[in-house]
Amino acid sequence: MRYVLRRLGFYLLAAWASLTMNFVIPRLAPGDPATAMFARFEGRISPEALVALKTAFGFTDAPWHVQYFTYLKHLLTGDFGLSYAYYPSPVTEVIGTGLLWTLGLAGCAVIISFAVGTMLGVLAAWNRGGWLDSALAPALAFLGAFPYFWLAMLALYLFGFGLGWFPLRHAYSHDVEPGATLTFIADVGRHAVLPATSIVVATLGGWMLSMRNTMVAVLGTDTLRLAHAKGLPPRQVMLRYAARNALLPNVTGFGMALGFVLSGSLLTEIVFSYPGTGYLLILAVRNQDYPLMQGLFLVITLAVLAANFAVDLLCLWLDPRTRAHA
Amino acid sequence: MRPAGLIASTLFLLLCAACSNEPRPRPPGTLFVSVEQQSAWVRNFNPLFPGAGSRWPTRAGVYECLELYTPSKGDYQPWLATGHTWSEDRRTLRFTLREGVRWSDGKAFTAEDVAYTFQLLRKHAALDAGGVWRFLSDVRAEGAHTVAFQFSRTFIPGFGDLAAQPIVPRHIWELVADPVTFTNPNPVATGPFTQVSVFRNQVYELSRNPYYWQPGKPAVRALRFLAFPTNDQANLALVEGEVDWAGNFVPAVDRTFVAKDPKHHARWFPLFGSTVFLYPNTTQPPLNDVRVRKALSMALDRERLVEIAMYGYTRPADATGLNDAYAGWRDADVADDAWVRHDAKEAARLLDEAGLTKGPDGLRRQADGSPLTLDIEVVGGWSDWVRAGQVVARDLRKLGLQAQLRTYEFSAWQARLQKGEFQLAISWSLDGPTPYTFYKWMLSSATVRAVGEVAPANWQRYGDKETDALLERFEVTDSREEQQALMAQVQRRFSETAPAIPLFPNPSWGESNSKRFTGFPTEANPYARLSPHAEPDSLLVLTALAPREAP
Repeated sequence: MRYVLRRLGFYLLAAWASLTMNFVIPRLAPGDPATAMFARFEGRISPEALVALKTAFGFTDAPWHVQYFTYLKHLLTGDFGLSYAYYPSPVTEVIGTGLLWTLGLAGCAVIISFAVGTMLGVLAAWNRGGWLDSALAPALAFLGAFPYFWLAMLALYLFGFGLGWFPLRHAYSHDVEPGATLTFIADVGRHAVLPATSIVVATLGGWMLSMRNTMVAVLGTDTLRLAHAKGLPPRQVMLRYAARNALLPNVTGFGMALGFVLSGSLLTEIVFSYPGTGYLLILAVRNQDYPLMQGLFLVITLAVLAANFAVDLLCLWLDPRTRAHA
Repeated sequence: MRPAGLIASTLFLLLCAACSNEPRPRPPGTLFVSVEQQSAWVRNFNPLFPGAGSRWPTRAGVYECLELYTPSKGDYQPWLATGHTWSEDRRTLRFTLREGVRWSDGKAFTAEDVAYTFQLLRKHAALDAGGVWRFLSDVRAEGAHTVAFQFSRTFIPGFGDLAAQPIVPRHIWELVADPVTFTNPNPVATGPFTQVSVFRNQVYELSRNPYYWQPGKPAVRALRFLAFPTNDQANLALVEGEVDWAGNFVPAVDRTFVAKDPKHHARWFPLFGSTVFLYPNTTQPPLNDVRVRKALSMALDRERLVEIAMYGYTRPADATGLNDAYAGWRDADVADDAWVRHDAKEAARLLDEAGLTKGPDGLRRQADGSPLTLDIEVVGGWSDWVRAGQVVARDLRKLGLQAQLRTYEFSAWQARLQKGEFQLAISWSLDGPTPYTFYKWMLSSATVRAVGEVAPANWQRYGDKETDALLERFEVTDSREEQQALMAQVQRRFSETAPAIPLFPNPSWGESNSKRFTGFPTEANPYARLSPHAEPDSLLVLTALAPREAP
C-alpha cells in the first residue's frame, strides 16, 4: 500500500510539473493569437479588425504569477475558457468533437496491436527458427520501417480508391444518423477498418520484436529449465512461466503507447479525414490558441499519467519482486 | 487463442455488414460545398465576431448585408437596402431598406434591426471589424425602412464597411447576454439558408429560409458540408464528384479535375486575390533607397517566377501592384512602368549608382565597404512562396547580392514581419472595394508604425506625404471621376516611390461541378466570383444556383 501511495505522490508531482510547463511554454512562443488569426485572413479583412480581435481575446497585462494562479484555479474548476481559433466556442466543446473518436480508434488500435504483437512475439520465440520467426518478424519490421504517412496513403489508395472496399474518409457516413443502431455501428466499424489496420500494421512489428527478444532471454534461464524438468505441459511453461516474465518491458511500453494515443494519431486523422485530437493540437499550436492547447495538454498529461499508474499496478500484479519492495 | 479468435470473427462480421452497404443515393437538391478545412465542425453561427470561428456561409448566406460589392463587376448592387443617398454635406448617409423582407422566424425586418446591429458594434469594440465607429457618430432608424448614419467626419470610403456589415435581428440579439461570446447555434437571419437541419462533427447541413424575400429562391434545397482536414482530402472528393462547389487550390487543375469530365467540371481562377509582394524593410539601409528597391525589382524574372511558384495560374504584377478586381481603376500608363520588368543590366546600373559596387570577388558591397547580405523570409510550409523566394534569391544572386532564403515557422515569421525585424519578406497585401485600403496600407504615413511595434500591414514602414494628401481628398469625394483621377495619381506615386516590390496577383480559387446544379459563375458569365471564399459574392451564387433534377 505504501508503494501505491508513494507512486501516487510522484504522479501528483509530475502532473504539477507538466501543467506548469504547459503554462510557460506557449507564452515563450513569438507572436500572439490575435495577430495570428488576423494574419490567417491574408488581407481579406480590414486592419481595424486586429483591434477588434485583441479586444475580444482580452489580453491581460497582469503579472505572470497572477496569471499562473488564475490558470491553476481555472484548471481545478474545469474552466478551460474559450478557444481562440474557434472563438467563441468553449474549449471543452472543441475537444469534445474529437476526443471520443481518437480514444476509440487509436485506443483500440494500440490494444489490438499490443495484444496481437505480443502474442506473435511469444510464439516466435517459442518456435525459434520457425516460419513466424524467420518470415513474419522481418516482414513486419519491414512494414513498420515505412513512413506511416506513406503506408496509410497507399492503403487508402489501394483499398479505398482503387478497389472501393472501404470508405475514403470520415468516421461514419454523412447520411447515417448516429445512434445505438446496428446500421450506425456497422458503418463506424467499416470506416475504422482502414485507419485502425494501418496503425496496427505500422506498430505490430515493434511489439512482436521486443517481446520475442525478451522471451528468448527468459527461455534460457534456470527457471525455465526447472519448469521443463518438473514436467509441466509446454503450453503452461510458455504462457505462465516464460511469457509472464518476459512481458514486463512490453507492458511498460504499452503504458507509454496508451498515454500517447491522444496526441499521436495526427497522421491517421489527416489521411483518413478522421475526427480527433491530433489535428486539434496542431491547429491550436498554429493559431497560438493557448486555451485549446492548455485543455489538450491537460487531457494528454492526465492520460499519460493515468496509463502509467495503471501499468504500475499491473506490474505489481505481474512481478512479485515489486511487491516485496513495497 | 480464444480472444484473438473472437476479435477476428467480430471484425469479419463487421466487414460483412459493411460490404453489404450499397452507396446510398444523394439527397436530391442538396449542394455539397467545400470551403473551410477542418477535421471536425464546431457549431458557431455568430456573424458579428470578425474571427474565423463561424461556419461558412454565416456572414454571407445565412446573414445578409445592405449592399453587395462584386469585384467582377466593380460595382455595388442593392440587397437588403434598395439604395442609398448622401446628404449635401456628405455627413449623413441614408439607406432605403427593401420592403417585405422577413427574418427566418417570420418577423418583419425593419430599420430598427439595422440600427441595433450598429449599436452593438458601438457597445462591443470586439465586433467592430471594419472600425466603423471611428468615423460614425450616430445611427438612427427613420421610420420602418430608412436608416440614417451620422458621420463624425466626411469619410466616403466608410460606405464599403457599412454596406458589407451582416445585419442581425434586434428581437433575438437583445436577449443575448454577451454577443461577443455567443455561438448562435440556431441562427435567425434574412439569408437564403438559415435552418441548421443537421449538425454533427463531420457534417452539417443548412436548409432554406422559409421566409426568404426573393420569390422562388433559393432553388437549392440545402447545403451540405463535409469535414476535410486538408486540401488533399477535399480535392479527392472534388475529383470524385462528391463535392459540387469548392474553393481549393488544385495542382494541375485542368488535367486532374477538368479533364475528368469536361462537360461538367469547370474551374475559374480570376486574378482577384490579393497581390503578393516582396517587402523591403525601408527602415534599413540600403533598402531605404528607392534605386535599390527598383533594382531588386528589375532583377526578378517574374515570368519564370509565376511559372515555377504558381504553376502559371497567374501573371507577373504590373507597376500599379493592383490585382484584376481593380481593373476599372488601373492607370494603363503607370502599369507599363519599367521597374517591374526584368532588366538585369539596368538593375546593375542602379545598384552601382546607389553606391553598391562590386568588389573583386564579384559581390556587391555597401558604401562603407561592408559586404551586403539580404535575407528573404517566408513561412516554411507554404510551398508556393518558398518556391517564389528561391527564384527571387537566385535572381538577386545573379546581380552580385548575397541573397539567402530563410524559412520560419508561421508565428515567428509573422512576428518578425509585423515588428519590422526583417530585411526582405514575401507576404500578401490588403484588399477593399476600392484601391483606397490597398494604397493606404502601402504608402500612407498614418499607417507607419515604429520598428518593434506590431503593424497589421505596411510592413515596409513607408510613408509618403504626397500620397497622404491625395488619400485625404479621396476620403471626401463621392464623384467617381474625381476618385478615379486621384487614384491615378496615387498609382503614379506608388510607381515612383516603389515602397514594396509587387510579384504577382493571387488567383481566387473556384471549382464547380455542374452535373447536378446549374448557374455557376464562369469567365463568360462573371456575375460573381466563383470562389466560395469570396464574400459577399457567395450570396449571389447561392441564390442563382438551381438543381438539374426536380427537387
